[in-house]
Amino acid sequence: MKRIPSYIKVMLSLLPAGLAAAGLQAQTADAPAAENPENQLIFLLLISSIVIALACLLLTFAVLVLIRHQVATTAEGAAEGQAVKTSEPLLSWSKIQAALTRAVPVEREADIDMGHDYDGIRELDNQLPPWWKYGFYISIAFAAVYMYIYHWPGHDWSSIKEYEAEMAEAEIIKAKYQEKLAEGVNENSVTLLTDPASLENGKKIFTSLCAACHGMQGEGGIGPNLTDPYWLHGGSIKDVFSTIKYGVPEKGMISWQSQLKPNQMQEVGSYILSLQGTNPPNAKEPQGELYEPNSDQTEENETVGTH
Amino acid sequence: MTKNPTETIAKSPGAGVQLEHFSYDNSIVRMFAIATTIWGIAGMLVGLIAAFQLVLPDLGLWDGIGELSFGRIRPLHTNAAIFAFVGNGIFMGVYYSLQRLLKTRMYSDVLSSIHFWGWQLIILSALLTLPLGITTGKEYAELEWPIDIAITLVWVVFGLNMLMTILKRRERHIYVAIWFFLATWVTVAVLHIVNSLEMPVSLFKSYSIYAGVQDALVQWWYGHNAVAFFLTTPYLGLMYYFVPKAANRPVYSYRLSIIHFWALIFIYIWAGPHHLLYTALPDWAQSLGTVFSVMLIAPSWGGMLNGLLTLRGAWDKVRNDPVLKFLVVAVTAYGMATFEGPMLSIKSVNAISHYTDWTIGHVHIGTLGWNGFLTFGILYWLIPRIYNTRLFSTKLANAHFWIGTLGIVMYAVPLYWAGWTQSLMWKEFDGDGFLVYNNFLDTVLQIIPMYWMRAIGGTLYLIGVFMMVYNLIVTTSKGQFVAEEAASAAPLPKNYVSKKGEYWHRWIERRPVQMLVASLVLILIGTFFELAPSFLIKNNVPTIASVQPYTPLELQGRDIYIRAGCYTCHSQMVRPFRSETERYGEYSKAGEFVYEHPFQWGSKRTGPDLHRVGKKYSDSWHYQHMLDPRGISPGSIMPAYPWLYENVLDNSLLPNKIRAMQSLGVPYPEGYDEKAATELQQQAATVVQNLQREGTLDDNQAQYIQDKEIIALIAYLQRLGTDIKAKAEAQ
Repeated sequence: MKRIPSYIKVMLSLLPAGLAAAGLQAQTADAPAAENPENQLIFLLLISSIVIALACLLLTFAVLVLIRHQVATTAEGAAEGQAVKTSEPLLSWSKIQAALTRAVPVEREADIDMGHDYDGIRELDNQLPPWWKYGFYISIAFAAVYMYIYHWPGHDWSSIKEYEAEMAEAEIIKAKYQEKLAEGVNENSVTLLTDPASLENGKKIFTSLCAACHGMQGEGGIGPNLTDPYWLHGGSIKDVFSTIKYGVPEKGMISWQSQLKPNQMQEVGSYILSLQGTNPPNAKEPQGELYEPNSDQTEENETVGTH
Repeated sequence: MTKNPTETIAKSPGAGVQLEHFSYDNSIVRMFAIATTIWGIAGMLVGLIAAFQLVLPDLGLWDGIGELSFGRIRPLHTNAAIFAFVGNGIFMGVYYSLQRLLKTRMYSDVLSSIHFWGWQLIILSALLTLPLGITTGKEYAELEWPIDIAITLVWVVFGLNMLMTILKRRERHIYVAIWFFLATWVTVAVLHIVNSLEMPVSLFKSYSIYAGVQDALVQWWYGHNAVAFFLTTPYLGLMYYFVPKAANRPVYSYRLSIIHFWALIFIYIWAGPHHLLYTALPDWAQSLGTVFSVMLIAPSWGGMLNGLLTLRGAWDKVRNDPVLKFLVVAVTAYGMATFEGPMLSIKSVNAISHYTDWTIGHVHIGTLGWNGFLTFGILYWLIPRIYNTRLFSTKLANAHFWIGTLGIVMYAVPLYWAGWTQSLMWKEFDGDGFLVYNNFLDTVLQIIPMYWMRAIGGTLYLIGVFMMVYNLIVTTSKGQFVAEEAASAAPLPKNYVSKKGEYWHRWIERRPVQMLVASLVLILIGTFFELAPSFLIKNNVPTIASVQPYTPLELQGRDIYIRAGCYTCHSQMVRPFRSETERYGEYSKAGEFVYEHPFQWGSKRTGPDLHRVGKKYSDSWHYQHMLDPRGISPGSIMPAYPWLYENVLDNSLLPNKIRAMQSLGVPYPEGYDEKAATELQQQAATVVQNLQREGTLDDNQAQYIQDKEIIALIAYLQRLGTDIKAKAEAQ
């Protein structure tokens, strides 16, 4: 009799779900959510989803505890060979159940037996649980109010307007960024970085985004070999920066300026130039013109020639 | 045995009643039970394959085999789980309960038999055609038109058999379980026929007659209500029979049955558009989907409450009886899933959950918990009874219960976590307004551990099923199968005088045909208000002048895309969110899809959205990527498609395809079917030239690849979403 009831076991096995959710919450709480209105919104939505999920779990748990109590008392009643009776603590299951469902107690259910008999199945005619009934009414009211707020003539909400509002907020962030950008590096001011930290950053970006076409070691593939001294669009840091920034769409080179910041493009550009002469295996044959560092004249000509 | 001999018994003093003797057909029940089990295992096994493909794309078992690629395995899994496993489970339960609830044998053994074998043949044909890539490309309705017709015929046979059985019943009133069976039958018929309307091109190829937004609306009206009327209402009917039987308790509330039944079928049919929130579907239709989903909570929970509260006074039995354990968890899972569903239909929640694994976790609470566990509970209850014996091992059944429950939890929880994590990563911006995870792959790699746990959870669940099969086989070997179960009942008197003060609803319970018609009318109301406006009101889909039909090569490429099941992992619908327009480009407009027969918006992003992929990469990138995804993107879980580089593009149907499209309203010029092949060759040559110019192919390779399928696929991918770019450039 004193075995752990099945329901408690189910709930115990569900516990990891709660912990997982809590863990995620903690994880996201560390993220710099407040920096950006979009992130903040998502953060709030996520938290509320998790709260809803946790509330569901909690509710289920509460119901199950009550059910467990019911199981125990029913079993006791059955064991003692008498009608189900519960000792009356302050907050008994039968009281709660009665309040929640307005159910006719099991021992008096003959009063509400409909007299139906389908293959031995009888039907009682208990009241609709009040919370269920009023919950249904509330959901219908919710539907009416929702449609009124969003779609009644004069209320011109639309998902596209919502999007435009979101983009307007983003514009502010972008404008600030543009101000910063004016002070940052561009294709005219960019310089070659040689410090290990910058090159390491550049390597990470390269591996994630560039290696797909240029090979893990810059040996070339879909895109040209970046380790030989031959360049299609110029081999100075300014040329490389410019090619990364604007791309060469007609040849399949993507413009990266919407995804990489200038300092990142500088880092990855510097990393690419650090690969010169590394002679990786499976290198693609040279393409373009020979570029000689320190020959500014050539550089100028090539830049003009390719744009 | 002789049928229907009669005898006179004295039922009550003074009244002589003719008691008729007859027998219940248990053979058909056993056949469906066996089919349920076999197809259940098959469907789950295919699901496991799909789960492991996502973590081990290069295992060496499936890579390089087109028939086993994820895009074909996944539809096979969903179709097998829904229509083979649950479908046979429905028929098993209906054929068992219907006869007993009506005190009559099934109307016709021949119809029963045709129904059974017809359904199994349909499943077999699905098993053959889906891996071959013969598909309509519409989720959960992938089977091609000849099979669709076969499904319709078999469904009519089932309905005829059921209705005739009801008409020759020996029970005056029909029980709530049968209300659900009737509503199921009539609604599934409507859903299947309307959604499957397609224009045949050949025996194995057709195009949906609807396009774009309308196709999406019809498809998700169907898809959502396949969940409602195939996975839910028939199983509620089964619950109403097997729960009170197994617990030996009266149904808790008759009036709750009435209210939740009618409310459920009326409201359910409206909720489909919640699968299309924030898409190019008109906003008003989206909102209808949201509010009707919220209104669904109470009617859905009405069923759960009536099931659980029926167990009042019998909860002590739940401790010992594995049948009740399965039924109780099934009903609880139903309650959880039907609360979660409406929550996911709220736009702000859906903005996070949609396209992620949250949805996958959600549906598996429903299928593994509600459908799976209810089916297992019924099998454990019913098999010993038709074999006139006791279950071989209660202990083993309990073990099955626990391993199954653990399997569900281990399946669902990691996927919830994966969904939340990935969605957050998709949407995270840094302070300068840049996406933090601009490489989609980074967000996939993050959740691979969760995919592993899901695969393990699924394995546990399947192990439980094998335990059940062993248990049931031993049970049958210990018993004696009762093919004809003797029964007797009095015939229905000709005239019925309704009791004074009886409940008003009893009237329709005596009239199954009226009940069928009433159900039909109710579901047609929602159907009409939801579907009709998008067909009748023109400004629901604003036209865009620059949007043109696909070229012949692109059309062929699109058919390869559909055949490969790319839509199972890639959406083609950029939602109007900053995080999506930054990542993918301009959000998708309704007018862009007017020639999309069928639509390919997808419902899950295991890979990135593709609607704006056109011209984003070079032809060479696609060429190399389809051949070796991990060579281009290390860690990618996309399968390789080497056969596209060997198969010659089959253009024999091209004129038919063009004509089919023309008859669907796609404005190809008159006589274009004759010119299409030439234009196709020209465009293929251009693609190959690009590949040569980019250094991907030498002359010999170019010669070889020119007529291969990959060229068409590249042409299609490069066209995607570019028509409105062309407009922007022209301005």
